[in-house]
Amino acid sequence: MPQLFRFCLLSSLALAAATAAPEPSASMVRISTTSQQPDYAVPWNPGSVVSGVGAGFVISGKRIMTNAHVVSNATFITVAKEGDPTPWEARVLHVAHDCDLALLEVYDETFFEGTKPLDFGGIPELESTVIAYGYPIGGDRLSVTRGIVSRIDFQPYSHSEVDSHLTIQIDAAINPGNSGGPVMQDGKVVGVAFQGYSGAVAQNVGYMIPTPVVRRFLKDVEDGAYDRYMDLAATYFPLLNPAQREALGLEDEDTGVLVGSIFDGGSSDGKLQSGDVILAVDGRKVFADGKIELDGERVEMAEIFERKFKGDTVELEILRDGAKDKTTLELDRPWPFEMQGRAYDRRPRFVLVGGLLFQPLNRDFLDAQRNDPQKKVDTRLRYFFDYYVTDHLYREHPEVVVLSDVLKDPVNTYVEPFKGSIVDKINGQDIRSLQDVAAAFSQPGEFHVIELLGEGRPVILDRATLAEAGERIKARYRVISEQNL
Amino acid sequence: MRPLRFLLPVLAAAALTGNAPAMETLRQYLPAAGPSPTPAAAAPAEPVVAPDAAPEPTAAPLKAPEANGQLPVVRVNVASQSFNFSQPWRKNTPTLRQGLGVVLMDGRILVTAQLVTDHTYVELEKPETALKAAAEVEVVDYDANLALLRAPAADFLQSIPGARLDESVSVGDRVEVIQIEPTGAPLRTPATITTIEVGPYPVDENAFLVYKLSFPLQQRENSFTVPAFKDGRLVGLVMRYDPRTQTGDLVPSPVINQFLQAAGTEPYAGFPRAGLTFADTRDPQLRAYARLPNGKGGAYITKVLPGSPAETAGVKVGDVLLQVDGRAIDQDGNYEDERFGKISLAHYISTALQPGKTIPIVVWRDGEETTLEGTLVPRDRSSMTSQPYLFDTAPDYVIVGGLVFSELSRQFLREWGPRWANEAPLKLVYLDRYQSELPDDRGRIVFVSSVLPVPGTLGYEDLSYEIVEEFNGQPVRSLEDIAKAADSPTDKFHRIKLAEDPGLVILDVEGSKQAEERIKAEYGIPAMRQLGNRN
Repeated sequence: MPQLFRFCLLSSLALAAATAAPEPSASMVRISTTSQQPDYAVPWNPGSVVSGVGAGFVISGKRIMTNAHVVSNATFITVAKEGDPTPWEARVLHVAHDCDLALLEVYDETFFEGTKPLDFGGIPELESTVIAYGYPIGGDRLSVTRGIVSRIDFQPYSHSEVDSHLTIQIDAAINPGNSGGPVMQDGKVVGVAFQGYSGAVAQNVGYMIPTPVVRRFLKDVEDGAYDRYMDLAATYFPLLNPAQREALGLEDEDTGVLVGSIFDGGSSDGKLQSGDVILAVDGRKVFADGKIELDGERVEMAEIFERKFKGDTVELEILRDGAKDKTTLELDRPWPFEMQGRAYDRRPRFVLVGGLLFQPLNRDFLDAQRNDPQKKVDTRLRYFFDYYVTDHLYREHPEVVVLSDVLKDPVNTYVEPFKGSIVDKINGQDIRSLQDVAAAFSQPGEFHVIELLGEGRPVILDRATLAEAGERIKARYRVISEQNL
Repeated sequence: MRPLRFLLPVLAAAALTGNAPAMETLRQYLPAAGPSPTPAAAAPAEPVVAPDAAPEPTAAPLKAPEANGQLPVVRVNVASQSFNFSQPWRKNTPTLRQGLGVVLMDGRILVTAQLVTDHTYVELEKPETALKAAAEVEVVDYDANLALLRAPAADFLQSIPGARLDESVSVGDRVEVIQIEPTGAPLRTPATITTIEVGPYPVDENAFLVYKLSFPLQQRENSFTVPAFKDGRLVGLVMRYDPRTQTGDLVPSPVINQFLQAAGTEPYAGFPRAGLTFADTRDPQLRAYARLPNGKGGAYITKVLPGSPAETAGVKVGDVLLQVDGRAIDQDGNYEDERFGKISLAHYISTALQPGKTIPIVVWRDGEETTLEGTLVPRDRSSMTSQPYLFDTAPDYVIVGGLVFSELSRQFLREWGPRWANEAPLKLVYLDRYQSELPDDRGRIVFVSSVLPVPGTLGYEDLSYEIVEEFNGQPVRSLEDIAKAADSPTDKFHRIKLAEDPGLVILDVEGSKQAEERIKAEYGIPAMRQLGNRN
């Protein structure tokens, strides 16, 4: 799958002071959520309501830290202190879906009376002992599990499915309900428990978000908004082949990575070119395997970008056509990647006309299509999703609009075979976003003419009969709303 | 790269679909029976699309002698060995297939093309005496799934009568499917023709006339292909059988007749094609949009292949086909056949007409009838970007400095087994399936199919299926382009520009040359190039 993962590695192994760990009961929060899962198959439906329990802990500034996935799509959140059954209503202050962290605030600040905010520590050493707190299955009260740090590595964050950051693996049992809870060492938080494997896959493997990621999140939201991780928006590759190095004019044996693709509108757009060699980043030499030296450790070059914020700059030393050059990039998050990630806290977007449902292609939509045996995901749709970024399909299709379903009615009874096709034009207008669909249908004419990619025969809807059908279809299929743009 | 998985000739059949594009159909072969089934290397699941074109039987009957009590059949034993497209310098494990051939009046033997696919040795065996003789494949048409064999010894078949083609069966008729017992005695299974329609054939997106039979086929050796007769005349060759539903498909006599006529010309003429696809016009809103009066029938043209007879004739997407060679076309794309009744236009074009014939075509365009003229010719597969199948020829490749370059073909994708459409590299599957949407001058798609690690490929081990755009500054539209560009480097480096990441691969010219001996010795690869089978 051609997806980009951002890379970051541990920067330093901080030593935690060897003091006794206080019981964090006064900081622990049990979070109960009611959430509504978006329904991408029937997008006007409000979605099914589910409840869940997660953990959180009080930090400075009368805030509660937890995982993004604990409070995603939440419609109602209550928090309760350990040993106190009273629920207090809370709301999301900031959420970072790309690193699975969230901050909550409680409407009534008296909640925080008697609580003790926790401080963050550094990165625990391998083999050192940590303690995880949370509310996993097996009872209602606080659960405490002890484990050791098994691995400090770079891992995908499953909440968004497209992001990877530094992660610490521990062998304490981490189960649903532990999510968002603190993992402590020497009285300080060294991680936030967030994901693991089901028992069928692996036992005693739990993951926590380490403090460099947590601190970055806290710093990012200082200005009142979360801007997310920054990205070079370009691919680069190790330069280990001697002929390749020589032909590119690289003199030494261990410097430089080759720039592959550059994505439109991203940080590198207009600054880097395919075939450039990146020699140094912010004055640090880039080794031929894509690593740099930071705080005495060899880490991925991307760690430089991981630590930066929106609007920060990065200085690159490059080799282009054999000549050295310098360029300064302003970091930003490129938009083409988002379509391949999971979306939260948003209602599915759609347009319904004459029983024809139009939806933009994205991961949640594709999963809904795949889970429905009556819908088809053909090669073209798979290609448009997987190669959306790498083949720069976003240029022609800022949004890929799919004729995803047909609510059967006399007006559209011949349209059924075209389900799952990508919409190219409606009434002669290019369809490059969902908004275009709504606009194109307002064009005058006797017929609506819908052209689909790869289909030689247009879908024709008679405008007069369509007008009558609208209300009928809405009533029969309980359509609450005909569009959400 | 996954190893080649053969499609076992398991007893299962196709769920045939109408003209739903991209509908996957699993087609499998007849029982090879016996203790262990014989693998049949050939076409796995194929997308079935709307028929390209159409047929009719001109039935010029071969004059056959009266049957003298002996059946006009002979055992055909085939050793075959398919090529390995992922390692194009080697062939796969040889396999044996056994079927029955039908002896024709002129002494040639008719079999299905499936039986002789990638053959290395073909042998005839007389049912009663087990006398054997080597045979040559004279003509093979994988589209129509038919082949003609010739026995070198003229007198070998002397005692066996020749078969005549049936010209009269219709739906509901009883026929006999013939197998041969180990004793040489015939095993006759009665069968009923349940349907006559245009349906998919085993390779590619071909659609020709098919007779569907209902019959309980017995497990016997020699059953890879078996003939069906009625009153001593050949009705067709069974090409598929599903033991669950006890139904099978025949390559019917009208298709055989057209094949034999085409085989009578030099070179083999093939089946005519129009090079278009169509959709029905049942949708009243589509009819109103096309200003097509009710009762006019007509098939909506959805695709006109570049360079096809339809394109030459001036047929355009959006035209509605009303008449072909004087036959009225109904709203489903069918015409009224004298013998079969309503049947797809695809049958008329491919099987009723001769290649080279010029026919009038009436289309509905801009609210009025327009008459065009088209000359039907067989499809030129060699001009396709991705060839639908490649049998009997070694796959081409070029190795430069340990990088193996191949051309995209569906045969290559089939290395991923019956589910190749889902399991082969998505971009290659996409390019193969939608190749008609590529620019006319796209040529072939050349990609790095594997890397044979040598010191020069250091750092390139992970290359997989990246498409090549340029080689030493020259655009790459075929493997020859790679070979030519590799023979004329501009300096001491080969510069290979890829369409995908990492974008640029560089090899040392001298080092690549020196690596050749090592690749030959250590990987056992006989030649750095195979470009001998260009068609």
